[in-house]
Amino acid sequence: MTVIEKSSLIGRRIAKLDAPEKASGQTRYVHDLDLPGQLHGSILRSARVHARIRRIDVSKARALPGVHAVLTAADVPYQRPLGVGKDQLPLKGDKVRSRRDEVAAVAAETVEIAEAALALIEVEYEDLPVLTDPSKALEPGAPVIHGENLAPPSPHDSLKPGEPGDAEAHRHNVAMTFDYAQGDVAAGEAESDVVVDDWFRLHYVTHCCMGVSGVIAEFDRSGNLTLHSNTQVPFLHKREFAEILGMDPGRIRIIQPPIGGGFGSKLDIYPFEPIAVFLAKATGRPVKLVFSREEEFVASPTRQPVLLRLRSGAKRDGTLTFRVCETLHDNGAYTSWGATTPFVMMQTISSLYRVPHCSYHTTAVYTNNPYAGSFRGYGNLQATFAVEQQMDELAEKLGIDPLEMRLRNAQEPGEVTPQGMHFRTCGLRQCLTTAAEASGYREKHRAALAAQKAPGHRKRGVGMASMLHVGGGAKIYPSDGCGTILKIDDFAHVTLMTGASEIGQGSETVLAQLVCEELGIPLDAVTVVNNDTDITPWDVGVHASRTTFIGGNSAIGAARKAKAKILAAAAKVAGVAEAELELRAGHIVRAASGEALMSLAKLLRSLHFSDKAELVMTTHYYEPPSRHQDKAFKGDVSAAYAWATQVVEVEVDTDTGVVRLVKVTGAHDVGRVLNRLGIEGQIEGGIVMGQGYAVTEDLIVEDGVVRNPGFRDYKLVTAPEIPEMDIHFIETMDGEGPQGAKGVGEAPAICMAAATANAICNATGVRIRDLPFTPEKVYRALHAAAAPAKAP
Amino acid sequence: MAVEEYWAPATLSDALERLRGGDVTILAGGTDLMPQSHAGRVTLARGLLNVRRVPELRGIEAADGGVRIGALCTMSELMRDPLVREHFGILAEACDHFASDQLRNAATLGGNVCNASPAGDTLVPLLVLDAEAELASKPDGRVQFRRVPLSAFFSGPGRTARAPDELLCAIRLPRPPAGFVGRFYKAGLRPALDISAISIGIGGVPGGRALGQARVAYGAVAPVPMRARRTEQALEGAVLDAATVERVAAIARDEVRPIDDVRASAWYRRELVFNMTRRMLGDVAHA
Repeated sequence: MTVIEKSSLIGRRIAKLDAPEKASGQTRYVHDLDLPGQLHGSILRSARVHARIRRIDVSKARALPGVHAVLTAADVPYQRPLGVGKDQLPLKGDKVRSRRDEVAAVAAETVEIAEAALALIEVEYEDLPVLTDPSKALEPGAPVIHGENLAPPSPHDSLKPGEPGDAEAHRHNVAMTFDYAQGDVAAGEAESDVVVDDWFRLHYVTHCCMGVSGVIAEFDRSGNLTLHSNTQVPFLHKREFAEILGMDPGRIRIIQPPIGGGFGSKLDIYPFEPIAVFLAKATGRPVKLVFSREEEFVASPTRQPVLLRLRSGAKRDGTLTFRVCETLHDNGAYTSWGATTPFVMMQTISSLYRVPHCSYHTTAVYTNNPYAGSFRGYGNLQATFAVEQQMDELAEKLGIDPLEMRLRNAQEPGEVTPQGMHFRTCGLRQCLTTAAEASGYREKHRAALAAQKAPGHRKRGVGMASMLHVGGGAKIYPSDGCGTILKIDDFAHVTLMTGASEIGQGSETVLAQLVCEELGIPLDAVTVVNNDTDITPWDVGVHASRTTFIGGNSAIGAARKAKAKILAAAAKVAGVAEAELELRAGHIVRAASGEALMSLAKLLRSLHFSDKAELVMTTHYYEPPSRHQDKAFKGDVSAAYAWATQVVEVEVDTDTGVVRLVKVTGAHDVGRVLNRLGIEGQIEGGIVMGQGYAVTEDLIVEDGVVRNPGFRDYKLVTAPEIPEMDIHFIETMDGEGPQGAKGVGEAPAICMAAATANAICNATGVRIRDLPFTPEKVYRALHAAAAPAKAP
Repeated sequence: MAVEEYWAPATLSDALERLRGGDVTILAGGTDLMPQSHAGRVTLARGLLNVRRVPELRGIEAADGGVRIGALCTMSELMRDPLVREHFGILAEACDHFASDQLRNAATLGGNVCNASPAGDTLVPLLVLDAEAELASKPDGRVQFRRVPLSAFFSGPGRTARAPDELLCAIRLPRPPAGFVGRFYKAGLRPALDISAISIGIGGVPGGRALGQARVAYGAVAPVPMRARRTEQALEGAVLDAATVERVAAIARDEVRPIDDVRASAWYRRELVFNMTRRMLGDVAHA
């Protein structure tokens, strides 16, 4: 008798399925794809920040040999508005509002010819008054960025909170507003023993995906459109492309080649995508349009820059009393997802800690600057930066240890916050104590305080910050679901067709793992198909740290249906009750003894090639039990919530202002670890991304122009600066999560800037509320020197 | 304009002949030339002259009691060379702050010198080492050489004393005095892969809490990498007590002529010059 022991893949260290291909350079990204007859598209962007287009002459460009099409707005009369705000056309006809604005586009035999053609296009501009300081956008007499009616007119009749503004609001440069309130902040303030009130300034950074933006658009002779696209949201974009192009969505197919990183940047539709389609339509040839790195810096979205004022109060014993938050979002020239980051920001303001009274207001204003999109953490880095610095400030004023201050106000499992979030599982308290103990936070914090005034130019300090983020999807769209189709072939090989896209986060591997766990098959018996809207079932897209949770539950659902079918058939064949059978290592076994009764493959063939004539194929659609927010932004939008605490240890050189990160200790409530190798990688990557946001990365935008569009002067963290990391997992076993897991994709980046700010303050006694902590800025703060007048 | 002709001569004489004909761009490692031409800051001439096959531009060898470093030596070769490491350590140290491994394998010393960036990583140590540029030309059918002290070689950002028909063949370094010690500092967020906000080279013969025969140079604080002669004079014979170190560092702060740019303000650059000169001299005093 062959006995097969029970085993599990959960929590194991599993290499990503696509790792061999990627590590050996075999992966074919959109850059590597070339279709027969393909032309290369290139875009002419505005030479001005804000101007009317008086005249465009493309005749010389059209005459250049090798050029197949040159398009301006005049050549594409059927253009429709696109993006979150529906406030721009792909090709700008009468006016440019930023330097990324698309003025003309070329399709040519080679990239070089396309570039040469762009240089031959003559554009005559008439400059308009420029608005690049968001704090001046609402002043009377400020230049108006929008206010024209785009065709067709905006469907929004009046300015609703959280909805793009209407034409009237646009005439006052208001793109969007958000208002939220709970309790009575005046009452909260009245019962406060201490109040802190600060301004925080959050800067521009950008995603720096290794794979830059790119698309190939191709029409067949029946008029069907295929897009080879890097999008993170293929199913939503299928519909949006149809609207923009006036096409039947059923005739649009989106194929995603392996995506070289998204981090939120590929969550909106951008002008280059329909422009590639226009060029393909005009030439009858496939058109490939891939950004250069410089173009990626200038014309892909940024993280949302924010000017934030936060007022917080507490009682003598440390209990929080109220928070008032007002933000000014620099929307840039157009409205993308950046403007909607208040959805997440207000959650941190209202619910990271228990606060009875709270109000939140955002105004997102149009300027002539680059526009912000979605970026890992989605406003939470900005909100956490302010909230967690004020937790330290309040603690200091009250003479309470910062850890104690947080523990006193920490959320607990079972809590329903005034904003309506229900924390069925909540590991915040364990995160706080685990990170503090593992890092020696209390002792180091006290020691650094005592050494602040000691001689020497190297100052050590330690800082902590915690975070709350959605970990069970986010019900923003009508559905937050994901579909799965699962088929098992005659050899017990599974093809998992899922709507959930792989963008480098490792979803493919974890979904395969979850299916193997249900079906008792090895990992190499699964093929994941996840990149073709003609094949895979619907999914809302990769955002909100939702893929493992939502896609995972969907895959598990499909696998369980298959398992039920298999066991029912096996029970008949073996003459054993279904409940006594299990699937292990590709076999049907007796659950109690592990005795192998038959191979799974043989059973499947016996179903297929018999009078039963049955194939095992199942489908499942998972919709999380979360709720949409009401008009007041209240509601339990996620099926689970993720928590984390990170402790950052820094060394500050007071002679130079250089801040070095020495060590990061993280404790993350991830529900349950599914793939230990994958989650470690995701957390380490997030920490480094958060480190870049805090200390090195700065997209310098002066007068609407990006001054450092390249990796020479846009400084990513490189290997030598990466700190030692000590990561702990808090497993709260979420009841709704797949095998107990919660989403974790965004979480690790969120605390870093806040914790670093607190660590710098602990080291030096100087609190800096203005990111990033680049050497000159830190040096000025340490030496109380004013910022210099701008160079002429 | 596109490149129409490409030349890869195998002798110095042939290379100089091409140069004399004019309308050529010299290519060595290409790590500065290619990005600059891509960004439109350099217009490539009609002819592209690849000098990498010219043997006279290669090698690191003892000469005149010092060393002759061929212009084609890469940063990686300099870092590994025993002669350089033993007697000219400050140069090897600067190479260790130079860009990335890939760029160090391609970028040449001659290219770094001729590119004449005020922030060029090797220029400050070369100034501290009293380097000379060995230039060759062929004005009348015969190869001629001349030497120019590096302190007189740079005339502005990207501009040098090299005539259009001259090729930089080598950098010559005299043997430093006995007991000579050099230190290099580069301000930047990252240990390498960074254009320096400023850089400092200090060399001399320490003894009796003083720094004899002091040589001080700064990068990225003036239109050219500069020797700070007033600072050097202030050091000569001075006992480096705390007050003197402060005074010398203040002279250095006054002597540099930085500008505001995307990497740092002039004010911050002066502060760095003061603080780090003070720190480096303090280290000498306590050594």
